[in-house]
Amino acid sequence: MNMIDVQNVSFAYSEEKLTLNDVSFSIKKGEWIAILGHNGSGKSTLAKTLVGLLEPQSGEIHINSTRLTEETAFDLRKKVGIVFQNPDNQFVGVTVRDDIAFGMENLCVPREEMLSRIDFYAKKVGVEEYLDKQPSNLSGGQKQRVAIAGILAMRSDILIFDEATSMLDPYTRNDLIHYIKTLNKEGFTVIMITHDVNEAILADKIMIMKHGEIVAFDQTETILKDKSVFLENHLELPVALEIANLVEDEEIRRILWEYVSET
Amino acid sequence: MNSIIIGQYIPGNGFFYKLDPRTKIIAIFFLMISVFMLQTIVQLLIAIGIAVVILLIGRISLFKVVRGLKPIFILLVFTFIFQIALNTEGTVLSTATMHFNLYSIISAVLIFVLWRILLRFGKFKILLFLAFAFALYFNFRYITFQPDFYFFQLTIYEKGVEMSVFVVLRLLIIITLTTVLTLTTKPTDLTQGLERLMHPLKKIGFNSEDFALIISISLRYIPTIFDEAQKIMAAQASRGADFSEGKLKDKLKQIISLLVPMFIIAFMRSEELADAMESRNFVPGEKRTRINILRFSIIDIYTGLFTLACFAGTILVKVML
Repeated sequence: MNMIDVQNVSFAYSEEKLTLNDVSFSIKKGEWIAILGHNGSGKSTLAKTLVGLLEPQSGEIHINSTRLTEETAFDLRKKVGIVFQNPDNQFVGVTVRDDIAFGMENLCVPREEMLSRIDFYAKKVGVEEYLDKQPSNLSGGQKQRVAIAGILAMRSDILIFDEATSMLDPYTRNDLIHYIKTLNKEGFTVIMITHDVNEAILADKIMIMKHGEIVAFDQTETILKDKSVFLENHLELPVALEIANLVEDEEIRRILWEYVSET
Repeated sequence: MNSIIIGQYIPGNGFFYKLDPRTKIIAIFFLMISVFMLQTIVQLLIAIGIAVVILLIGRISLFKVVRGLKPIFILLVFTFIFQIALNTEGTVLSTATMHFNLYSIISAVLIFVLWRILLRFGKFKILLFLAFAFALYFNFRYITFQPDFYFFQLTIYEKGVEMSVFVVLRLLIIITLTTVLTLTTKPTDLTQGLERLMHPLKKIGFNSEDFALIISISLRYIPTIFDEAQKIMAAQASRGADFSEGKLKDKLKQIISLLVPMFIIAFMRSEELADAMESRNFVPGEKRTRINILRFSIIDIYTGLFTLACFAGTILVKVML
């Protein structure tokens, strides 16, 4: 059963250039997909079409077997939550509590229910101490966690992270990635957009985008077996592969490659 | 910038902090109308007594209220001067010729310079200003060496003094009342109170909820945008821009060079924020539930009764006298 089905989707901001060119793929429930690509490869545009913020000029998107159209967008957005890059530009509420509540308020969740969900999800993402704090008193990582709590509280099952870690320091970034991993293990379908190869290889599957097209989409270990995919698309090699590359001994290199692609 | 205080709100937990913002807004509205209906200075003095009682109940220090008066001090002074100078009713209290001649103008300049110098040391700026004003008055009145370039008769009438005191007192009470509101109500609560009160306007097409959301988002982004301005200023300073010195023209140029990137960034932010809000199912004008709710309690009833008593009392006084 496919959670997300994208068929021949094309999108263009202007007439000269297609930002998404005939993109098709599908994602199963509970999968963790990393979308890799340079700036301008169309990965963020793809994310925006998946939540119905942009309407593709051609092609169809099905979420849970329902076609995404202007009419169904409101209902389907309940299923798909998105965390954007800049933690400051998605913080709507005046306090953490207000911000987590924002999505639920829009869904007309009764107040008692909201309060209990806020407590539950704030504890889950680890911001329960900051409920009455204002965004200016939070770190970038904490703001992203608040954003996650906000979409979890809306009971989304698909989580899209649009370069959500790129503005964080390395430590917080690691922390957040591991949290995303935990969420994926709990059954959430995760789509993680990134240009960090080392972040991407943690996912089950990697999709590489270039000039609005999908150039590779496969299991992470399969993608890792063929380093030419990285080199051809001007992506840096994952650190582990880089190390393996430096080793001169044939036999050790082979073992390292195997080790890397297995883990 | 973690602690930008927006408005005058000072955290606390006195009587007025526990009041529902709606009650506060309505009460102050009616009290203000009452103040405007008062006609004599005696009535106003009673009103001042009531205002002081209100401050005492709220345990709001007079000092904070006086600080709130600062921005409108000049307005008060001008009101006072205009009323005295232009009102020509009642009996004449005093009449004096104001002389503008070489000596009086030179000494007026000296007084001005002295005032500016004292201002740098002194703490009592308001007192200094009053002293300065009086000094000028006596200066032009008594330095009478001829020839005058210009002179005029300054006549002060009884009604003029009465009205000027009256108007200033009235302004003082009104500002004290509004200060009580702004000191004890968070900007967000104030917005929410206004939103609920303006809710009936929906019938004529004014959506108070959207309005409140706009205000609360602006409030939320003030520190963020302020932060940004500082970053841009630091970036420009590191490349040689100087924001503190230079002619007015240069300063204006620098402000423009700051405003352009600020606007561009603000537009980019608002676009991303709009995406974030839409992706969380926000539809403008649609029905939403609310996490923050307002509830009236027993103290709101007391306040309401008190306001009603004041209002009714004023009407009674106006009708009887």
